[in-house]
Amino acid sequence: MKQHKKGLALWLAAILLLLAGALLTGSPGRTESVQAAMRDAVLHDVNRIGLFGLGDVSPGLISAFVVTAFLLILAVCLRLFVIPKFQYVPGKLQLLLEEWVGLFDRMARGSSPHRHSFLGVYIFSAGTYIFVGTLFELLGLQGITVHGHPITLPAPLSDVNAAIALGTLSYLFILAGGIVGNGARGMGKTLKEFSLPLSMSFRLFGALLSGLLVTELVYYFVSLSFVLPVVVGVLFTLLHALIQTYVLTMLTAMYYGEVSERPHKA
Amino acid sequence: MPLNIDLQQILLHWMNLAILTGGLYFLLYQPVKKFMEEREEHYRSLDEEAAAKLAQAEQVRAEYQAKLDGADEEIRQARAKAQQSAQQSAQALLDQAQAQAKQIVAHARADAEHSREQVLKESQRELRRLATAATKKLAFQADPFDQFLDLAEGGDKHEDS
Repeated sequence: MKQHKKGLALWLAAILLLLAGALLTGSPGRTESVQAAMRDAVLHDVNRIGLFGLGDVSPGLISAFVVTAFLLILAVCLRLFVIPKFQYVPGKLQLLLEEWVGLFDRMARGSSPHRHSFLGVYIFSAGTYIFVGTLFELLGLQGITVHGHPITLPAPLSDVNAAIALGTLSYLFILAGGIVGNGARGMGKTLKEFSLPLSMSFRLFGALLSGLLVTELVYYFVSLSFVLPVVVGVLFTLLHALIQTYVLTMLTAMYYGEVSERPHKA
Repeated sequence: MPLNIDLQQILLHWMNLAILTGGLYFLLYQPVKKFMEEREEHYRSLDEEAAAKLAQAEQVRAEYQAKLDGADEEIRQARAKAQQSAQQSAQALLDQAQAQAKQIVAHARADAEHSREQVLKESQRELRRLATAATKKLAFQADPFDQFLDLAEGGDKHEDS
């Protein structure tokens, strides 16, 4: 009992010591104002990163490459070491993988029962990318800008170019499904929804950007950096990841099923 | 471009997504889905096999039930036949016994008749003999009264002795 009390006292003392140290040392000085930080978080026009000498790109693109590389390496590891050991009665990891694949497969079948094989693959890939890409900002990986400053790599979809790319790609995918499944009628149905790429892109961008801005704001001020980041950084990001994954994949599957369905003859 | 939209970066993002989609399809989606389909097929085949076995068992049960019903009918027929046969043999035995009884009665009657006739004949013969003897006595003996007395005396002697 005495030992427990002593341990508790030591733990509290260590926390107080670290807090005092953090407050007394202060930040090393601002390299940019909060306005500039927020503006750069939206536009990515100052803190750019060089891409193998091909030019300067926004950090979101580097994040996208890192996320893709991580997912592909993970997929290779799972393919080599986990999938060959699959059993008819699944273990925990197998169950997770099956549920991960099955979730998008079921969504594709449910939204587009007549044509769903490629739809399942696309929403699986897009959903995984959005979910992992959104959680990526929690890692706080660092990149070096062309000016030599270290910056934290943001979520890929907080870059407007990434959001536009995913939104327009989803729209083109829906358009292709409409043409293949329903010919000119499908194309007409898809083109009728001309606002879809814009809404998809900016929904993603807005959602991810808002999270990024709040996180930037919280971390900009030292006084807000205690306890609050646990809620803002982890819970909100997790919630974001789930919601955005669900929204984009569900919308894509729903529109795909709608435009590729052949009209029923009366 | 407003909002720093860059076509080159959009194309790079598309390329990135295409690589990711292809890679995830070949490395993860297809193998996992194939395994799930294989397992589904395995359990479906097991289910069909079980259903076929159940149907077969049901058929065998029906066959045995039919056989059992047939056996019941056979047993009923055999029982009826056995009862009929037993009745016939009992009837035959009864007839035989009645015939024997009639025969015995007939024999007995014949024997009795015969005995009666013999007794009758014997008694007639005895009567004839007695009549002859009496006639002879009457004819050849003196006084019947004396004779009677003699006989009576002879009887007393016999009683005394």
